[in-house]
Amino acid sequence: MPVGPFGIDPVVWAPLRLVIAVLLVVGLVFNGALAQIYLERKIQAIIQDRLGPLHTGPWGLLQTLADAIKLLGKEDIRARLTDKWFFLAAPAIVFSPMLASYVVIPFAPSIVGADLNVGLLYLTTLGSMTVLGIVIAGWASNNKYSLIGGLRSAGQLISYEVPQILSLVTVVLVVGTLSMVGIANSQPGWQMNFLVLPLAFVTYFIAGLAETNRNPFDLPEAESELVAGFLTEYSGMRWAMFFLAEYGEVTVVASIVTTLWFGAWHGPLVEVLPLLGVLWFTLKTYFFVLVFMWIRATLPRLRIDQLMSLCWKVLIPLTLINLTVTGVLLLAFPSTLLPVAIANWILLAAFVLALPFFQRRRLVALRERLRAAAA
Amino acid sequence: MTVPLGAFVAVSAVLFFIGTAGVLVRRNAVVILMCVELMLNAANLALVAFSRRFASIDERGSVFVIFIFVVAAAEVAVGLAIVLSAYRNRPTVDVDEIRQLRG
Amino acid sequence: MFDFIEPAVFALLTIAIVAGGAGVVLANRITTSALLMAFTFLNVAAMFVLLGAETIAMFQVLIYVGAITVLILYGVMFTPQSPRPYGLFFQTQKWWAAAFVAPIAIFVALVAFAFRDSASAGAKGGDLVPLATSVFRDFAFPFEVASVLLLAAMVGAIVLVKRDED
Repeated sequence: MPVGPFGIDPVVWAPLRLVIAVLLVVGLVFNGALAQIYLERKIQAIIQDRLGPLHTGPWGLLQTLADAIKLLGKEDIRARLTDKWFFLAAPAIVFSPMLASYVVIPFAPSIVGADLNVGLLYLTTLGSMTVLGIVIAGWASNNKYSLIGGLRSAGQLISYEVPQILSLVTVVLVVGTLSMVGIANSQPGWQMNFLVLPLAFVTYFIAGLAETNRNPFDLPEAESELVAGFLTEYSGMRWAMFFLAEYGEVTVVASIVTTLWFGAWHGPLVEVLPLLGVLWFTLKTYFFVLVFMWIRATLPRLRIDQLMSLCWKVLIPLTLINLTVTGVLLLAFPSTLLPVAIANWILLAAFVLALPFFQRRRLVALRERLRAAAA
Repeated sequence: MTVPLGAFVAVSAVLFFIGTAGVLVRRNAVVILMCVELMLNAANLALVAFSRRFASIDERGSVFVIFIFVVAAAEVAVGLAIVLSAYRNRPTVDVDEIRQLRG
Repeated sequence: MFDFIEPAVFALLTIAIVAGGAGVVLANRITTSALLMAFTFLNVAAMFVLLGAETIAMFQVLIYVGAITVLILYGVMFTPQSPRPYGLFFQTQKWWAAAFVAPIAIFVALVAFAFRDSASAGAKGGDLVPLATSVFRDFAFPFEVASVLLLAAMVGAIVLVKRDED
């Protein structure tokens, strides 16, 4: 057992190290969420040609702090007929898996919570536990609209787990290990997995948007639909827990994207000073978080049936084809990744270029149907 | 001191028989499905415990557990589909009342 | 010095598993049963970790807690019944069931203790690579049959629940 700094006894240092790590992660998550809420409001404002928070603090930087104080001070309303224990437990069930996900994320060459050799499987498992919390939240609110919102959200989440896992499996096929540290180590320098597997990146990004209930897939919690869905009866700090869980999950998805496709902590000068890896990792992760926010400010929301047909009719066949092609090419050419890269870029180009073609066919068919119905 | 294999098998047996009692006693079809899942979990636990005992030979116990996961998932899906169709017929899931094959 | 950890954790998990299972059978409200079932699944996964089969434990959480519990909760919510606060109180069968199950359970549990040997190494479900090699090489045919089974279950469930739309 390692001796602690300042010569602390190993028996004291082991649990103390655990407590310090947990406090650091909790601080990271909460501060990250604070930063993201501010960034989101500013970026949405700028894209929508307005200014966003301005008055509280310089450039509105203290706005989130003011929001947090307001939320902490709100009255804890609980409707009388709700299931008391389930109502109270649901935010915790949604929040805990997100917090537990930070254990396997490699922030720097030697800074990782636990190098599980099934790290990616662990992250997938935690993602699937969030569904349970959302169903319980919808049920416990004793409100028809919350129940429908909760069940819709659960259906969306479990549907989009399939393309998510298939995209991750494609990367694992190429890299050869499920361990996050192993995946990060397999992309030295500029040779990022993005150059080899761009289609998997795109499908995972879309599935990640849906998994975290972000726009354009945020029907269950949207402000203008179903009275805010499964979150209707939650107010004050409980609502804040759900939103912290959502922003934390967005950061986890962005971290997974960074680790798998963009060489987690690799960057200039990181061999000289390993701690610089944290800076590169944070920059890359927050770049993807900003892309999430950019998409939120730009794209309209999908209806639930459009959302489901996108998953089952487009993403799942695409990821299955990607997986099959990658597997076959890896078997046929075991020593080089070039055929896999070429095939993936061709598939991505085909997907992007074929989209207007299919859209036009669907629009023509829809117009025919409407014309036939009106006649 | 490690826990002896018999203790794990005893826990698995107790869980299995709790599930059996649930299947025998409860009248709600969905609760009966839940108790069947408990029984499958008990079987998984016994298999993994024996897999540790015979770890020096091979890992067939754990492979069997994976196949039991698959079978349990398929069984819950089809079982719930049957319960929902029966519910649509007459709005009850009480197995004492869904016992006539007509209607 | 840390020798007592494994039996202590085992005792805690046993109590949690047995209490969770009993709660599923005895609970009055069906949602309580469903959540105690999820609790039991989590504790069985912890028991797998104790036995050294971490990969199987993660599959257990992923499949049972992540998917089967959600399925059962959907089933609970789509079949609402009038609430029965008295639960099993008026059931006459419960004494017969207990009389049938308890002796067999006690007998099997006592016989189980005849397995005295305990291995020191972990179960073979810890490493993913030997497990996967075994599934895809030695047991490739059952694997294919399992995928056909899942396809049949999926199609069957959809057909069973589909409404006849005119």
